[in-house]
Amino acid sequence: MTKRIEGDIKWSEDEDHSPASEFRVEVLSDVGYPLFLKGRYNPLTSKLSYHIIHKGVGRIYGLDLGQDHKNPDGTYVGEKHKHRWTILEKDKVAYVPSDITALADTPVLVWQQFCLEAKIKHDGILQSPLPFQYDLFLP
Amino acid sequence: MTPCLEISANLSDLFTCSNVNGFVRIRTPFLYPDGDVIDIYLQEKNGQRTLTDLGDTLGWLRGQTIARKKTDKQESLLQDICLNHGIEQFRGMFFLRVDAQQSFATEVIRLSQALVRVSDLWFTFKTRAYESIVEEVADFLSDLKIPFDQNVKCKGRSGRTRNIDFQTRNSLRTSFIEVLSTGSKAAANSKVDSIVSTWHDLSHMRVGQQSIEFISLFDDTLDIWSAFNIQQLNDLSEISYWSQPEELKNLLCQTT
Repeated sequence: MTKRIEGDIKWSEDEDHSPASEFRVEVLSDVGYPLFLKGRYNPLTSKLSYHIIHKGVGRIYGLDLGQDHKNPDGTYVGEKHKHRWTILEKDKVAYVPSDITALADTPVLVWQQFCLEAKIKHDGILQSPLPFQYDLFLP
Repeated sequence: MTPCLEISANLSDLFTCSNVNGFVRIRTPFLYPDGDVIDIYLQEKNGQRTLTDLGDTLGWLRGQTIARKKTDKQESLLQDICLNHGIEQFRGMFFLRVDAQQSFATEVIRLSQALVRVSDLWFTFKTRAYESIVEEVADFLSDLKIPFDQNVKCKGRSGRTRNIDFQTRNSLRTSFIEVLSTGSKAAANSKVDSIVSTWHDLSHMRVGQQSIEFISLFDDTLDIWSAFNIQQLNDLSEISYWSQPEELKNLLCQTT
């Protein structure tokens, strides 16, 4: 396992102060790839995503929960899917990951399964997303 | 069945509804640029229906880039989209108060089209971050009406040809600017070493009556650079940070 993340991860609000919480961390590797991991959880829509982004290429790998996806061949993949970057189709093809069994409203459990599958060693803990105050957003 | 009858009979099948967290979720046939499906949500309160994306669209955009903030250009494009489609942006969500005079289907399509346009801002992302900041610097210099050349080649004292990102010239001074941007701490040191070498090789151009000022411009939008990196270049050039464009402007416009 050469990819690793050091330290605890805290969620914070985004630049627009939207209902979602997010985080961004650097993914360290022996080779020194410029990799970052972004997480986002929107409790209003029950959507959760963890994306690995290469600074020179864009998103190369990502898990989405609660979000449907349509592949270029016209098939719908469903609300649990993973994008994996390929030269031909970039990140437009998704598949159903059988190794992710936790639900979108349990971001910490999903994180543990995601790291395992993506072969990322996280030396720390992912904290729970920020508490959500419904009335502040949709009074 | 005629095409018109076929459309009126089947078009509604493209939208499916379900209840999610107290909202009616409308799953549209429209897609984000990566193939993810665009959902919109209906809320009814005090007799007023509101359609919104609940923040998913800008969230989708944010998930494609390591940038923490949208650029001024992207913000301006967002305002244009809101104006064009008559939608409102509030706390990262797009809203549309359903007009009772309009058909509900029209309003659903109106918001959906706006969201497609917003997600298409993805095409303005430059994933190659270095190129992106160089382009931003070029835009910045153009806006200030400071004449410049890009990718200027200069022969150093070693005989090697050095590429300089920008040469600016105004009535007060001429400057060389080297842009330092990388996504990896591992690459930061070699980037600095390369520019140290360039400034050393061209150091003869800093002396004389028509001297050229050297500026090392750090992209500090990521916490990549060490104090030592900056100190190395501080000895050979003026230091500027992309997060403080006003200071860069002052540097470029001051007398030598």
